[in-house]
Formats: sequence, structure tokens, C-alpha cells
Amino acid sequence: MNQHDPIVGRYVYVTCQGKTYRTYYEETGDGIPMVCLHTAGTDGRQYRHQMCDPDIAANFRVIAFDMPWHGKSIPPSDWYLMEDEYKLTTSFYGEFIVAFCRALDLRKPVIMGQSMGGNICLHLALKYESEFSALIALEACDYSPGWWIYPLHHPHIHGGEAVATSVFGLMSPESPDEYRWETWWYYAQGGPGIFKGDLYFYSVDSDFRDQVHKISGRLPIYFLTGEYDFACTPEMTERTAEKVKGSECVIFSGGHFPTSEDPVKFKEVITPVLRKIVQNDPDRRGGNRALSGPSAAAASSPARPTGRRVIDL
Amino acid sequence: MSRYGSRKSFDLEWIERWARCVNEDRILPVIGRFFNNRFVLGVDETEFLIEVRGGKIARISEGLTPNDMGFDFALRAPSSAWAKFAMQIPPPMFNDIWAMAHPLHKQLIIDGNTLPFWQNMRALTRMLSLMREV
Repeated sequence: MNQHDPIVGRYVYVTCQGKTYRTYYEETGDGIPMVCLHTAGTDGRQYRHQMCDPDIAANFRVIAFDMPWHGKSIPPSDWYLMEDEYKLTTSFYGEFIVAFCRALDLRKPVIMGQSMGGNICLHLALKYESEFSALIALEACDYSPGWWIYPLHHPHIHGGEAVATSVFGLMSPESPDEYRWETWWYYAQGGPGIFKGDLYFYSVDSDFRDQVHKISGRLPIYFLTGEYDFACTPEMTERTAEKVKGSECVIFSGGHFPTSEDPVKFKEVITPVLRKIVQNDPDRRGGNRALSGPSAAAASSPARPTGRRVIDL
Repeated sequence: MSRYGSRKSFDLEWIERWARCVNEDRILPVIGRFFNNRFVLGVDETEFLIEVRGGKIARISEGLTPNDMGFDFALRAPSSAWAKFAMQIPPPMFNDIWAMAHPLHKQLIIDGNTLPFWQNMRALTRMLSLMREV
């Protein structure tokens, strides 16, 4: 008997800063749109476990896209003529996320990003507050220096092995080996110089230390950081969260890649956050549906496919 | 014993036990096939010269002499940091050489010619992780 994941993938054309990018994305579930942002140099596969989780898919349309140059999203057609190395900038990253959400006609999606995808949440809160309904910033802080370095893209060094090994220790030694090494593999598959170029955003172009106090607090922001994250330590996240009005901060016993390195632990950590987001969703507020257990949810959601597992967040 | 394991003392005998663990490993000869370098493992003020051939440790020695003609790169940290690194479950910020070397933490100093360090990092990382088997 064949076994399939419920994930389906497509390509959408996204125009950003004068160029159009054939962009790969995967999705599953239905409900509140939740767009997931991968870490530097990798792709949306980091969210495969969450996308296969029926408890999440029952209330969220989970979407993970590959940034241009990453995964199955190709670079711009004239990339080989570039006179500078690839560098992800804050302005491009923010505009691309918004353009992607508009390309899919998403109405006030939730954004969940980790590492650089977590840091960009601060920019989204500052500049695009009205576009989103909540931000989940995993392993995020307002300044994460030290990672934009030459050895990560050097012709005498195997980029895949060096990049993947340099991030391996960001994971908790207690995360399952198979998932830690799967995460290593994602990193080893990145294009030449792409991890380093993303880290231009992560370590150079995203110093938000003097800006985060301007975040209004109207958009809920949830910070979650693992104790083994040495690039964005729990203290760095806590200091950032203290400056962001209305934010919540959770420190947990994990590492820098919670969605892929230990999906079981991550589900424990993220479930209360997702429950709050469902409770705050204007379309569901006061309806009690999906929050009282499978039977109540099924009774109040007649449009949903019967027999489907229902959220118990 | 804490949840992270017991503290270890580092002398040449301990280094030898670690080197024998390295040489019994069946993965290192594959991922370290081209790892042919000499590096210094610095523990407090003591320098151990580690000579690697094909991913195995061919020689260890305590202290450097003029006849060594130098070394390729060095990893230096206090014994307190190596002791945490070598625990079965190392605590946060000590579980990895990059965690210890990161400018935010400054527990470990990497010096010398870092090109062979980067080139062989995957094998080197496994080699060092076998300290947890000693």
C-alpha cells in the first residue's frame, strides 16, 4: 500500500524589487493561513513534520516556501552576471514575504520563521504590521553578529560540509540523531554562497537594537528560543522580547532548528501558542469550535471533511 | 554526577585514551580520508600536538619543541571548558567547538592556519565528539 505525506507543492511567480521569481511552496491543511520561513541557506523542508501534523492542519493552512536561490526556487535568470556576491537584504526579505503572501491572496496570515526567519519578524512588525495577524519568531533576537564570514563560501573549502557542520552544534545534543543529521543534510544541499549571503542579513543588515522599541504591540509576537542556541541565546531573545511591546517569550530545552531537529518537543512548545492564535482569530472568536475536543469541533465545522482529525491544541 | 556527566582531567594518558577511541572509529577513515594535518589541542597552559593521517591519530605528544616545526592550527580552551565539552550530554554553550569559539562566548580560541581546520571540520568535529566516549 502506498503511503503519502499530505503535503502538496506548487510554483507561484512572485515579483519583488523589479524581478520575478519562480517560487516553490508546499502546503497542507486549511484554516488560518500560516506562512513558514526557513532558516539561512536551507528550504521549506524544515517544516515537513508540522505540515504532516493533523492537529495543526485542522486549524491552519500551513504554507512553507523556498526563498529565491533556495531549495526548488531558482535564482533570477541573470544571476551569473551579478557583479557582487549574493547577499540577502532586510528590504528584499521583507518585501518578498509580503509579495509572496499577496501572490497567494492570503488574508492576514500568521508568519512563523526561525533563525533569520525569526529575526525578519521584527522588521515585519515594524514595517508591515497590518499585513499579518500574528508573528511566531523562533530563535530570534534583535542582533545576531558574527556569522558573515569568508570560510562559508571559499573555493578551497567544501561548502556543503563546512556550512552544515558549522551549524550542527546549534542543535541540542538531546534532539534525536536522525533529525539532527537530516537538518545537517538540508544545510549541505544549499547553493554555493547562499548560506553566507543569507547571513549578511542575519549578522549585518538586521541590527534592530535601536528599532524594536518602536513596535506598536498591536500585532501579537511570540518569541521561542532553545537553550542550546549559541547564535541567538535565550538571554538575547529575552532581552529583545523585553523591548517589544506585547510580546511573549518562551525558552525551552531545544536548539536552533526546533521544527526539524526535534518535532515532538517542538509540538509541545508551539501548541499553546497556536491555541492562542486560534482563540484570537476573528473568524473563530467565540465559536468554541476546534478547542473543545474532536466531537465539538466536528459538530461546529460542517464544511470540513468528515473523519478528519480535529485540533486539540 | 550531574545530568551532564562527570568531570574529566586532561593529561597525556587521557589524550591517549581519546586517540585510541578515535582510531577505533569506523566512520572517521571515510569522512577523514584526506585529513592529514597536525593540530594543537590546548588545555589551559598545556599543548598537546595531535598528528592526523587519513582521519586517524598517528601520534600525540605533550608540549611543542623546535623539532616539531610548528603545527597547522590550534584549538585552545580552559580545562573547565573541555571538561564540559567532553560530558556525555554537554551543557548549552559547551556542546560544540563553534559554540565555545563564538565571539559571544569566547571559551575556545582557534588560531594558526584555519584553512585546513575548515577543510576537515566534519571529520574534526566527529573526532572531538569522541572525547565523550573516553
